[in-house]
Amino acid sequence: MPKFQQRGQTPSAADKRGGDAASTFMGRRQFLTTAAAAGAALAFARPARLLAQAAGGERLNVALIGVGAQGRVLMEDTLKIPGIRFVAVCDIWDYNRQYGQRYLKKFGHLVRVYHDYQEMLDQEKDLQAVIVATPDFWHAPHAIGCMKAGKHVYCEKMMSNTIEGAKSMVRAMRETGRLLQIGHQRRSNPRYLVALHDLIGKANLLGRITTANGQWNRAVSADLGWPARATIPPDVLHRYGFEDMHQFRNWRWFKKCGGGPLSDLGAHQIDVFNWYFGGPPKTVMAGGGNDYYPRHEWFDNAMVIYKYEIPTGPARAFYQVQTTTSAGGYFEQFMGIEGTLKMSENPKYTAIYREANAPDWEPWVRLHYLNPQEAPAPADADSDSSLVDARETAELATYALPVVLNKPVHQPHLENFFNAVRGQGKLNCPADEAFRSEIAIFKACEAVYARTMVEITPDDLKI
Amino acid sequence: MSSSDVCDSDSAGPTWAFLTLRLWLGARALLAGVEKFSEKITVQEPLRDADGTPDPSGAIVEIQKKVYGFSHYHAVPESLQTKFLQEPLLSSALTTPFYAALGYVLVILGVMLLLGLWTRFSLVLMAVLYTLLMIGLLLIRQEDGVAWLGIHVGLIAFALTLAKHNRFALTR
Repeated sequence: MPKFQQRGQTPSAADKRGGDAASTFMGRRQFLTTAAAAGAALAFARPARLLAQAAGGERLNVALIGVGAQGRVLMEDTLKIPGIRFVAVCDIWDYNRQYGQRYLKKFGHLVRVYHDYQEMLDQEKDLQAVIVATPDFWHAPHAIGCMKAGKHVYCEKMMSNTIEGAKSMVRAMRETGRLLQIGHQRRSNPRYLVALHDLIGKANLLGRITTANGQWNRAVSADLGWPARATIPPDVLHRYGFEDMHQFRNWRWFKKCGGGPLSDLGAHQIDVFNWYFGGPPKTVMAGGGNDYYPRHEWFDNAMVIYKYEIPTGPARAFYQVQTTTSAGGYFEQFMGIEGTLKMSENPKYTAIYREANAPDWEPWVRLHYLNPQEAPAPADADSDSSLVDARETAELATYALPVVLNKPVHQPHLENFFNAVRGQGKLNCPADEAFRSEIAIFKACEAVYARTMVEITPDDLKI
Repeated sequence: MSSSDVCDSDSAGPTWAFLTLRLWLGARALLAGVEKFSEKITVQEPLRDADGTPDPSGAIVEIQKKVYGFSHYHAVPESLQTKFLQEPLLSSALTTPFYAALGYVLVILGVMLLLGLWTRFSLVLMAVLYTLLMIGLLLIRQEDGVAWLGIHVGLIAFALTLAKHNRFALTR
């Protein structure tokens, strides 16, 4: 649980992130401290994939299962990390396999290609870790198979398209003793870490947090197509659980393959709610529908209201995902009685706002945790007549968060995984913790169809 | 110069008045010149707590810093340069050397006035410089700047009338 501590702690009374201020994630402090120097040095370094590969260190042999859009992002970012050598790629689609093999060859990684992951695990004896970026319904079989073969796994979120699938991954992680990192990459983003541990935690800038909201709105997009010459034979598609090529390419929208937009887009941000609030919500209400895309099974929009119980009292969170408008972009916002923190992977949506009656934030400005933005021009006397509400609250002062990330957003999370594989620290998002967060997404989807309030009970969290 | 010179009842007032003007005009010119060698740049540094310990997350922050150096020299803001460029009476043959010299001349004149080196000559040169600046500002209709420079030139003219009371100077 993040520390919602009493006011009065100043930067000079830095708690070194321990004691009663510790959150559930403070256990990672030791690792983070160890990694700080390396992280800072890496941040200053100019990203260069070839340099990264030459940098040496204990080499880890890695395979990638799933060379689709997200797999390519992870592959690209992994190439920037020193000491990682791709040795194999696996995908049921020739088109993706060839892409992966050719792309990696450009950076000196001569990989073997596989159609079937089990064959890859049988053949690749000198493999330490596997990155899984397949459709959600394949995450559990792939991750569990890899862990049972003795490999550590970085698996994209959502863990699975079913609660049971996700639980089976946690069980496999515990039984095999292998590492299973889930790709909620914000948990390794320094800006998110500083916001949680320093601004909300140590400085208590928001005061008591009562509300949160978040959204990911995307403009209308056409379904994904494929080159006719690259069509996968129907028997192969059926063998791997797809009805046809359209479903294979657009699996996110089909219930047996993926989890819809709350899972696809919302998972990242609802995870931030749960991470910052220190655990899953108690209840969820939701509405949504398949209003625009006739060929999709999942709803294309949803609005969700969670209720959390945090040490300072109840807090409610509203989340919306839209796939027919990009209005407002994507962010997570935490509102307290003394300030509001708006977070996003996109720095342009990120800021922190101070209520007029909040204590002085100047000490945190001096330490560069905050950067005050120019105040808006005061309204002139004539404009008073335009006020709708005579009790309108004074305008909030805006501060930027000057923390920068000089690397792609997935890279710190991958670095955290590979460091943990080397025994240098703990995972920032192990599967058991990810499951406690993702249960809120599964339950929100359930609430959309149930059209009633759904409770999240301790039994739901039992593995 | 002896202390009795300054304390002389007839000349003490004008002496102090001139010294005040000399210091003000000298400091103004010196700092205006020095500022032309400054720039605000963005640097990245590890985020540190009050004890100087790097943040455990390894966070890097962008900080704005003001730095000085010859490489940061800029005679006038870019917005102003753009306006001068659009003014047909201000050819680049005139403005280019003016830009190149402005900061250095201001620093030199400021130092000369503060030290009292060829004070009358320095004041006259300063008046010429401000007049040239005034012409440029007038052509691009920066009336506020013209008025601002007018005040300076007035102070210089007043200083010249008091220049015979120059004391605490390296040269007379």
